[in-house]
Amino acid sequence: MHEESHPAGVHPEPSGFIAKYIFSTDHKVIAKQFLWAGLIFLAVGGSLAMMIRWQWAFPGRPVPLFGMFLARSGGVITPATYQSIFTMHGLIMIFFAITPVMIGCFGNFTIPLLIGAQDMAFPKLNMLSFWTFVISLVLIVASFFVQLGTAGAGWTTYAPLSTGIGTPGAGQTLVVAAIFVTGAATIMGGINYVTTVIRLRAPGMTYMRMPLTVWGLWLTAILNVLFVPVLGAAALLLILDRSFGTQFFIAGAAGVKGGGDPILFQHLFWIFGHPEVYILILPAWGFISDIIPFFARKPAYWYRGSVFAMVLVTILSAVVYGHHMFLTGMNPLLGKGFMTLTLIISVPAEILFLNWLHTLWKGSNRFPSPMLFALGTVFVFGLGGLTGLYLGTIATDLYLHDTMWVVGHFHLTMAAAAFLGSFSAIYFWFPKMFGRQMNEGLAKLHFWTSVVFITLVFCGQLVAGYAGQQRRLFIPYQYTFLQHLLPLNRWTSYFAFALGISQFVFVYNFFRGVFAGEKAEQNPWQVGTLEWTLCSSPPPHYNYATAPVVVRGPHEFANPEVKKVLGRDWIGQAEELPKFSAAAVKSAARGAKD
Amino acid sequence: MTAMGEVLPYRPPRARENTTAYLGMVVFLGSWAMMFAALFFAYGYVRTRSVAWPPPDLPELPWGLPAVNTLILLASSASLQYGLRCIRGGAWKKLGRALLLTLLLGSVFLVLQFSLWLRLYAQGLHPDSAGSYGSVFWGLTCFHALHVLVGLGGIGWLWVRAFSGSFTAARYLPVRLWALYWHFVGGVWALMFVLIFLI
Repeated sequence: MHEESHPAGVHPEPSGFIAKYIFSTDHKVIAKQFLWAGLIFLAVGGSLAMMIRWQWAFPGRPVPLFGMFLARSGGVITPATYQSIFTMHGLIMIFFAITPVMIGCFGNFTIPLLIGAQDMAFPKLNMLSFWTFVISLVLIVASFFVQLGTAGAGWTTYAPLSTGIGTPGAGQTLVVAAIFVTGAATIMGGINYVTTVIRLRAPGMTYMRMPLTVWGLWLTAILNVLFVPVLGAAALLLILDRSFGTQFFIAGAAGVKGGGDPILFQHLFWIFGHPEVYILILPAWGFISDIIPFFARKPAYWYRGSVFAMVLVTILSAVVYGHHMFLTGMNPLLGKGFMTLTLIISVPAEILFLNWLHTLWKGSNRFPSPMLFALGTVFVFGLGGLTGLYLGTIATDLYLHDTMWVVGHFHLTMAAAAFLGSFSAIYFWFPKMFGRQMNEGLAKLHFWTSVVFITLVFCGQLVAGYAGQQRRLFIPYQYTFLQHLLPLNRWTSYFAFALGISQFVFVYNFFRGVFAGEKAEQNPWQVGTLEWTLCSSPPPHYNYATAPVVVRGPHEFANPEVKKVLGRDWIGQAEELPKFSAAAVKSAARGAKD
Repeated sequence: MTAMGEVLPYRPPRARENTTAYLGMVVFLGSWAMMFAALFFAYGYVRTRSVAWPPPDLPELPWGLPAVNTLILLASSASLQYGLRCIRGGAWKKLGRALLLTLLLGSVFLVLQFSLWLRLYAQGLHPDSAGSYGSVFWGLTCFHALHVLVGLGGIGWLWVRAFSGSFTAARYLPVRLWALYWHFVGGVWALMFVLIFLI
């Protein structure tokens, strides 16, 4: 590549180890950094989940393996520790596992590659985003080692429990600060993604030719940019309350001279929080909306419908947050408004769902691991979506609010669907990221164990919630009416442990793939998007030496003309059919008729 | 299999890259506007829920000094905009003078703001004992002042660079971006003046 072929703003290729792998501005390296960080914290968050499940199955018994972290209480989970465990499980999974893997890793890796760009619009900001994220990780880890331990006010950090009165100690403050800092990192990433998609699409890559992955991630980035600052404001005010004695969220006897209002925190939190649940699912929708047509060997059914559905969900997600607060003394009329808007969201979600099913219908379906995980995502998301209707409806929410039903519902959507969707993406892009292949047999084993156990775990929670078990109870069986749920909870826990253990299949497969996997071909899945057709595996430093000229959409499969001329069922997005004679066209037309 | 389609060389012109950077700044400020919007929402929420605003034994917020400060920030924005116009014509010395004036006006804003804090603190409006009334005043004005401080840092850096003549009629993107930021901070202050000090 000649020097003059570089655009003025693109950084030179680094040579030293640190510039190449540590403080890298290359979007592909940053993507891998986010992936490693996210997977490590996924393991941490998962271990915390195992401890919660242990507590619900065997309360008061010393925890095996993890008991060594609880030496002071002889391996038994104490109420305060239990608070910290479920708080940090939620926060770590959302902000430090799913977000980095889905948005940090795949946002970074796929956006420039799939739109035909050499890098992000602001590579240095991209690097800054990752290292800001690392600072937040340091704050989180530090919070475990301060006096009184880490945060314990639940992942939602509701005031007044999260104020200095409810949860004293530096741990909670550090965690709130970590949320603020990781929010800053997310905003930096979001600015990059939004700008990159608007400005750096290759010639011919119109919005309606973008892979749906890019659509999902772009809309996610827009939501991030708009709503993470609201969480930032909430975190900021909470830190002021905790450390500087202000009284935004403190009321009653504790609030001298007319204190603030704890409900204010819920408003701020959910103004952010509801878009956030779509932030965590839109990328997965994007991945599977591409992966399903790729392996059904068919163009995506009603591509534009999927795009508009995702756009509609993005817009609606901003105006439904009140359904988290039906029980806060909200004006009933306002509640009904939020209920209606909430239920309307199921329409675009349904459109997406039907588009996936229609894509599969009469497709030449193939079932390698990415496709299996994509279908698993569709399945658990369907369950999660249906169970959500009962929470969006006020009449049923009055009963189900704050029960394990809620826990089961949101785990099916933003945990199980996000988890399976992420793995779908990991298995799909792994050959392109690392230039090697994972073992397909182990991948399938990982899929079947994961999808079966994850469904059983969260359906177990749904059943417990329907029977009236409140979420977050330290020992649910202290209540007579919940005592008969012990066997159900034990079985749910066994499935959870099985789910946890089956992840070691992935860990082994992943490490084996990264360090000793077979070399991957350029286009092992035989699909037409730019990264597979124009880049080697792994792609070179600048992805594309020259800008590809895109001539068609991302899912051009089973086109009879292409089949006739090229002899394959797919064609690249930047690939033109070779010139052929009129006779060939005629024979192609005849072939199509046959 | 790799030789697919027609190719064009990558070489976005500078104007195109500048537009990209400008868009990035707009997205950033849009994002930051949401943070201030959330803070104003919090203010509106606690104010509508409070029995008395201000509480009986606490001082009312003055509007004279903040009004002067609003005019000062307006003037500083105008001066920065003038400097931007000058550098478009290549007059980098004039840009330097305009930046210096902006810097001075911004510093005067902070000094006046500081005197306001001291005065109200002396009158008993403390952040930790004046209820949500004091919390809103201290939290929001201090957070805004931090943004002014960052802006002054940026404009000071621009001034040093302008002084060494590194901006020309063709290359002045940082001036454009910081000007946008500075107008944003001024706009937030104007809103704060109306919402917190006037009504």
